[in-house]
This record gives sequence, C-alpha cells and structure tokens, in this order.
Amino acid sequence: MARIIRALVLVISALTMSSGAAAAQTSAINEILAENAKIIAKGSRKTIQPAIDALRDSGLPEAQVVLEKWRAKEIWMRKEDQRFFLTKTEDKKTYQLFEIASGVPAGEAAKKALKQIKPNSGVRALISAALVRFQLMDPNPAKRRASLTAIQRDPSAEQLFALRGAIADEPDADIKAEKQRIEHLLTLAFDPDPVARVNAIRSFEGALDVDVRAALNPLLATTTIAVSEQVPDVNIARRLTVATAPGDDGGLTGPARDLDFDAAYALLVTDGAPAAISTEVQKQALAEHVVDGKVGGIALSDLNSTDSRDRAYAALALAGKVAPAPSLTDRVAAIKAHTFYAAYTEPDSDVTDAAREVLADIETQVEIYGILDLSLDALSLASIYFLAAIGLAITFGVMRVINMAHGEFIMMGAYTGFVVQQIIPDYTISILVALPLAFAVTFGAGVALERLVIRYLYHRPLETLLATFGISIALQQIAKNIFGTQARPLTSPEWLDGAWEINPVVAISWIRVAIFVLGLAFLIFLLFVLNRTRLGLEVRAVTQNPRMAASMGIDPDRIRMLTFGLGSGIAGIAGVAIGLFAKVTSGLGQDYIVQSFMTVVVGGVGNLWGVLAGASLIGSLQKVIEAFNPSNTLAAQTYMIVFIIIFIQFRPKGIFALKGRAAGD
Amino acid sequence: MRLDKFIMASATTLALTASTALAADETIKVGVLHSLSGTMAISETTLKDTMLLLIEQQNAKGGVLGKQLEAVVVDPASDWPLFAEKARELLTVHEVDVIFGNWTSVSRKSVLPVIEELNGLLFYPVQYEGEESSKNVFYTGAAPNQQAIPATDYYLEELGVEKFALLGTDYVYPRTTNKILEQYLKDKGISADDIFVNYTPFGHSDWSKIVADVTALGADGKKVGVISTINGDANIGFYKELAAAGVSADDIPVVAFSVGEEELSGLDTANLVGHLAAWNYFQSADAEANTAFIDAWKAKMGSERVTNDPMEAHYIGFNMWVNAVEAAGTTDVDAVRTAMYGQEFPNLTGGTAVMLPNHHLAKPVLIGEIQEDGQFDIISQTEEVAGDAWTDFLPESAVLVSDWKDLGCGMYNTTTKTCVQIKSNY
Repeated sequence: MARIIRALVLVISALTMSSGAAAAQTSAINEILAENAKIIAKGSRKTIQPAIDALRDSGLPEAQVVLEKWRAKEIWMRKEDQRFFLTKTEDKKTYQLFEIASGVPAGEAAKKALKQIKPNSGVRALISAALVRFQLMDPNPAKRRASLTAIQRDPSAEQLFALRGAIADEPDADIKAEKQRIEHLLTLAFDPDPVARVNAIRSFEGALDVDVRAALNPLLATTTIAVSEQVPDVNIARRLTVATAPGDDGGLTGPARDLDFDAAYALLVTDGAPAAISTEVQKQALAEHVVDGKVGGIALSDLNSTDSRDRAYAALALAGKVAPAPSLTDRVAAIKAHTFYAAYTEPDSDVTDAAREVLADIETQVEIYGILDLSLDALSLASIYFLAAIGLAITFGVMRVINMAHGEFIMMGAYTGFVVQQIIPDYTISILVALPLAFAVTFGAGVALERLVIRYLYHRPLETLLATFGISIALQQIAKNIFGTQARPLTSPEWLDGAWEINPVVAISWIRVAIFVLGLAFLIFLLFVLNRTRLGLEVRAVTQNPRMAASMGIDPDRIRMLTFGLGSGIAGIAGVAIGLFAKVTSGLGQDYIVQSFMTVVVGGVGNLWGVLAGASLIGSLQKVIEAFNPSNTLAAQTYMIVFIIIFIQFRPKGIFALKGRAAGD
Repeated sequence: MRLDKFIMASATTLALTASTALAADETIKVGVLHSLSGTMAISETTLKDTMLLLIEQQNAKGGVLGKQLEAVVVDPASDWPLFAEKARELLTVHEVDVIFGNWTSVSRKSVLPVIEELNGLLFYPVQYEGEESSKNVFYTGAAPNQQAIPATDYYLEELGVEKFALLGTDYVYPRTTNKILEQYLKDKGISADDIFVNYTPFGHSDWSKIVADVTALGADGKKVGVISTINGDANIGFYKELAAAGVSADDIPVVAFSVGEEELSGLDTANLVGHLAAWNYFQSADAEANTAFIDAWKAKMGSERVTNDPMEAHYIGFNMWVNAVEAAGTTDVDAVRTAMYGQEFPNLTGGTAVMLPNHHLAKPVLIGEIQEDGQFDIISQTEEVAGDAWTDFLPESAVLVSDWKDLGCGMYNTTTKTCVQIKSNY
C-alpha cells in the first residue's frame, strides 16, 4: 500500500515538472531528499549525517544551494507526501511552494500542512562542514572565510586534503594566510607523515590562540597502563607512583601518589585480575555465615582486622559458600608486581615530544599574558569605579556633603541616554548628544537638590544623610513608574562593538577602553578646573573657610550650588558610560553608591588623586581576589570589603590624607 | 458625641461585613498574590494582569458553577515575610477559594506554612528547583527534569558539548539546580575537571573576567557550553560582554533558564542570535490556542507586550482549577484537590498538560534559539515530560517520591516505605 502511494506521489511529482532536463535533475535531488525525509525532519545531529553526505556526494549542481537553504532554515516539508519546498508567504497562513532546485512554483499549501525544517546548531555545523568543498574556492570571500570556520569546528582528514588543494589559488592574502594556518592545524592532527606533523607543530611555536592549544592538547592525552614484565611498545609519557596500601598517600615526605590503591587495582581488574569486593560486602557475607559464633573457623571476636576477615572469607570461599575474592594481601602483591605508566594515545614519540615542548612554551607565555590581561581588567574596573566616584569626590570630598542620592544621578544619566536613543536612532550621534545632555539634566537636578534641600542642612550632616537617602528612594520609585522595572537597552555605537585584541590572550572590549579614556579626560578636566580656574579657586576658598571667602567678595551660596551641580553632572555622564557596558535599571545607582563612597574614603577625602588611588586599589584588589577564587565572585567582593575595613583601621584618612589646616581637624 | 460616632462607625462596619458576606454567596473569590511593587514587580505584575484576563474571560463564559468569579488582588511588595501575611489575609479575611501567586522560591517557602495550616490552595506558576511537594500547592511551572535536564541532554547529544560552565546568581534556585546538574553530568561521564562553576551577586555587571575564563576553557580542544542560571538584570551585562568578546553561539553556546521574551525586551539581540533558552512555552509556539491567547493579551495590554512561560503556567493552572471545581461541584479545597488529579487541559504549544498525583504537570520541553526580533525560534520540542518533585540525580532525593492521590504523602521514602513528612518544613 505504502509503495503504491509512493509510486503515485512520484508520478504526480514527475507530472508537475516543467522541462525534461530540469525535471531529471530536480527529481534526482528530490529523490535524495525523499529517501532521507525522515532523518531530515527529525533533525538530530546524531542521525543526520547520511542525508548530508548523500546531498554532498550527489554531484548535482544544485546540491550546494540546497544545503545552504537547508542551513538557513528556508526549506519546508509538505507533511502529506514528505516533499520539500521553498516557500513564500504574505499572511503566514497560506504558503506558496516552489521547487527546491529550479524555483518553479508548485502550488500552495496551508501552514498546517507544512513543517519548517529547522536544523539546530549542531546540524548546521555538519552542513557547513559538508559545504566546505563547494565554498573553499567560492568567488565570495565571505563564504571562503565561513568555510574555514566550518573546517575548524569540524576538523577531519578529508577536510585537510580539500583545503590543501585550495591554498595555491587563493587570491586574498589574508584568507590565504588563514588557510595555511588551518592547514597546519589539520596537518598536526591528521597527516599520515610524522615529519610533516612535527613541522606543523613547530610552526606554532609561541602561538597564543586558543585553537592552537585546542589542537595540541589532545595529542598529549594519556591513558594509564599496568605492566607486569616487559614494557610493551607504546609511547610512554612517564612512570606513575602508586599507593601500595589503602590510604597510602606517600606520607609527608614521600612523593605524592598518582594512583590510589583502589584505582590501581581497578586497572588490574580490567586487565584480567579477579575483582575485589568492598569491605562492607565482605562483612555482610561474613555475617550471613556465622555458625556457632564462628565464621570459616575463626571466632567472631578475632574478626577485628582486615587480615583475619580475609582469612575467614577465604575459608568460606574454599568451602564454596561465597564467591572467591582476592584478599588485601593478594591485591597488594598484585599491585607490587606491576609497574604503572601513563602512555600517550598518540603512538609517535617525535610528535608528542614536539607537542609537549611547543605547548610548554606556549603555556608559560599564556600565563604571563594572563597576568597582563588581569591587570587590564583591573585597570578597566578601576576606571569604572573612578568615573562613578569622581562626582562624589567633589560633593563629598570637597564639600563634605554626604549625598546618598549620588547613585540616582548616575541612574538619571543612564536613562537620559536611553531616552535620547529613542529619539535619535543613530547610535553614534545619540551618544554624542546624550553625554552633554546627561550632564545638563543631572547638573540641573543637582542644583535643584542643593537649593531645595541641602543648603538648609549644611551643618547637620546626619540629617543630610537621611534626607538624601529619602530622595534616593523617591527617585528610584519615580524611575520605576516612568520606565518600568525591566532593564532598558542602551546600545553602544558599532565602532565600540567588539574588543581590542592585543593578542589572543590579552583582550579588552572597546567600550571599556572608551570608559577608561573618559575617566582620564575627566580627571584632567577637573584638575584643571579646581587648580587653574577662578571657579576652582573660589570652590577651594569656600570649602576651607566660607566666611573668609564671603568677605573677599565670593558668593558662597552660588559657589556651593555650582560645585554641587558639577559633581552631579559628572555622575550623569558616568551613568551614560555605565549604561553602555552594563544595564539601565532603576536600581543602577544602588550598585555603585557603596563602591563610590568606598573609593573616596579609601583614597582620601578631598583629593582627586586620592580618588584615582582608591579606585585603582579597589579595582585591582577585586580582580586579584577573583583570580584566586574564580568560582565565586560574591566571595571576592566580601573579602575585598573585609580588607578595606582593616585598611581604614590603619589609615583612617585614606591613602592621600590631607594635612594641616585644610584637613579640618 | 464620641460614643455616637463609635456606634455609627460600628454599625457601618457591621453593615459592610454583612454586605460582603452576602456578596460572597454570589461570587467565587480568587486570590492573586503577586508583587506589584519592589524588585519583582515587573515579572509579577504581568502575572497579575494574566490572572485578571483569565478571570474576565471565564466570567464572559458564564463563570464557574453558575457564579461569577471575583479577583482579590493583594500586593506583597517583593517582601518575603509579607507574602505569608498577605496569604493569611486572603484566606481568613477575604476567604478566597484559591490563590494564584508567588514568583521567587523564597516567597513560596514563606507562604507554605500558612497555606498548610489554613488548608488553602495555591497555584505556583514559575520554573523552580524542585525538592518540594506540598499538599496545598500545585506546581504548574517546570521542575528541574522539565527544563534543566533536557537542556543538558540537548547540549550533550545535539551540540556535542564536552565541557560545561555553570554560571549562576548566588541564591537558592541556581545553587540547587547546579548541584543537580553537576551530579547529572558526572553520571554522564563528564569529569569534575570539565565542570566550571561560578556564582555572582544579583545585578552583577563586571563580566569581563568571567567571560575570558569561559573562552579559555576551550584550550584543551573540548567543546565548551554555558548553562546559565543567571537571574534578573545581571543577564544584560553578561550578554553584552559575551557579544563584545565575539563569542559566537556556534562556538560557545549559552542556554539560559531564566531568560524569556520579557527579559530580552531589555536587550539589543542582534549579537545574541543563536544563543538558547529552555522553557515549556515560547510566544513563537505555533498553535491556535496560543494565537488566540496572544491576541487576547495584546488586545488588553497593548501590542508591544509579549507572553512568556509563567503566563502559560497560570493559563493551564487556572483552567484546570475551573474544570476541577466544575467536576467536584464545589470549591471546597479537599474536593477540588481530589478532582485535580488527572485533569487534562490543552497547553498553548499544541499538546495536552496533565496534572499528576505529585502536584506537578506533564509538559513538553522546548528549546529555542534567540532571534534578531527578540523572539525564540523553537528548534527542539519533546513529548510531554512528567514533572518530578524529587530529583533522581541526588542520592538523598532519588529514594523519595510524592503521591498525594494514593499514598497521601508528598515525601515518601521508597526504600523504608514510610512517609517522611506530611507538612512541609524544608
């Protein structure tokens, strides 16, 4: 019955073909698809290979296109006859069908009657690997590059030979170099000639790329073998030390044991030694055969050592009551009779030697560069903390106002960036607009806060703290009401996408570099304003002695207002920067307020260099602790806070303590 | 004068109480216990709106048992102890017949004693860590074996991942889930050296080192995959750093258990295409019931709003409860509970959900790839998987089963053949 239907389907499909030649080809590819319809529809990486191979090896000119369309999820299956089509739709309900190879219209179908073939990422990788042979010399350079990526994801000996044929004629120098590099990567794994492999390995001396290490490491995979007499002809990595008794770990002075007792004996069992039984099983077996207070002729009271229990068990085994099992003495003897080695799975010792040397060299370099990378991360984190804290350094450090709403100014700046992006779709322009606008908005907010609240509380620090804390909560709730609590996107312009890769180990995202530059720019700007301008002079005068300053013709009210506005405005700009690399939520400020106060206090109140020192100390400390304990970032933060508490005990005025009358005490 | 006022006030109160009592006879009250303020508000407000929509639709169909449904909405304000207080208020003051609510596991744990003491009925709609089965709670979200385990299988079998990075936020759900997954992976032959675990605080934003650590895992030639139980807005910084580091989903895929349509709306997804999420429902599921539900939701809430997995859980839970009440002919908790077992209701992804005697649902597991438009392309959909209250992959839980129908016990030890406990005090 099924056969008749299938024949019928074939006839019908043959009838619908337009021209003779096209029909022949189309039906050829359709037949391949039809034969594999089941596994294609199932789409599992484990079973799909025959379908891909059949298409690839069909020799049909349209095989490449079909594979590409399949990978792009553009192929649909008509459920009733399991035939495959390309589709187009207007309303997502009825779909026009097109022949896969020729693109000839083939009627319509309702969505229900169709199934879209969606290969998962595992299947897509296999399809890409199959496409390699079509694409290695494709006129389109992007496709050639894609084929190289595909080779790397699914390397095989076959790809090596395809790739070798495609290097000489490669017109693009970059792609050619990449092809040669990948050819070397495949050579060291798959070439039958050991000399070629060793040369390929040597060509990677000092290469830091992850894929090089990923290719070299498997060459050095070892298995453990136990040898009783002569060493067999294998590629020995080294001799292993073995525990010769349960719990033997070499003691305090001896060498550490590579293999513990049970693991070593288990290895002998796989080589044919009799299987051991656990102490519990042995005890249970003994307990089941207690006769007149004796087991196997040994009194129960004597069964207090492994040795006596082994003897009792052996007696039972001899009597045929339990299955025989080796005693501890047997096992110790068996282990002592063997030598244990780690042997390379790769048989050629030249290859493993070369791989070991090159890899050892690479790993030393990776470690050195790893430290460099960590320092770069630390520098970046420090610059983020610096940017978040520098506004506070002015309001808290210079003016001595404890402004708990400082974090909310950061948040306000970030939301300003978000709103600007809603209005100006070009990301570059919107960031350029957002930075001054965020400054303006938070400058205004800062001035308003100073005029309305803080100026009444200058001599009452505790009340300032409470009032600004309340304002901080209110601002958060307002943000929630306006923007919702879901995080909002603040997207960086394209030229800040990606990372600056100094080498494959040391890399830092451009956005972090930009934040670093921004932080540096503000440091210079503020140093200039405070030390070289009239405003800076007045600010310093007002902070040191407002009455004296007033009698010199300075308006302390105006100066305080401007200073507070300046500090808040910088927080707004920090907000845009932080929003770009993290997230924009109403709680954004909360994440930075504690860190900011910590930075200012550790660095030393009232000194911009102090903020820089504080941020650097906290940032690098955090990264160093993280590096020691990579599995728990939260713990790293806790240790850091403990350290800072201790630090403050010894230097209560921070790294850069103000001296003399300016210190105010 | 004062006395007068007092008497008048008492009289009004009495009259009011009487009138609510009268009203109670005419309507069936449905409690909605979701935070409408505080950190969980955005997720839970959506669920409150979902419940109001479902109740509205049911009332339009004529209500339940010939009576109209009345929603009683309270706000526990993302404050875990307040959840218990508000649950008590719902059951004793408003005398609701059923409660739909909670999101975080900690809030559920705080409500449990109240619900069990007063014999209430709670429908909990969020995917969670399992290891619990209360007589008075129906868990309509996914247990670990309906989300984490199938996703891990997908990694092992379909993507050929050999090395795992388990990244999570530091609280009960990720820690329990990762504990189960670690054991599961070891059972599958993955060595402990090939499992990298990291916990970060809520709202973490400095991801550069962690992402670098994860990419460096590939140095020994094994394929690396990330399983993320990172919760909340920390995901945004994580995905941004991932995109900046140029980590392609084809090289190092990330599967997330707490990132859905709602969370993706806060992200530019262009660089995340191909990364994965595992749920029991995606908005992109192709089924008629789903289209109708999405249309109703958008008509009520606005066209830019998305639907997500916990909403489907409420949809199934609510409709099963309605059917169970109709079957029992009463809203009495014990009668409804008995009628719940074996309830079937079409889910929104084209299959049928069944309520099991362990108070969990049988639901299909879906794995979706993130698309540019912030929706998920479903690339794998299993048959219905029965939810398992006690995981089979931790030795201390493997011996436990939950069966409220025949055994009458939520924590039954199959080796000692005894009920460990009836009430929950985990």
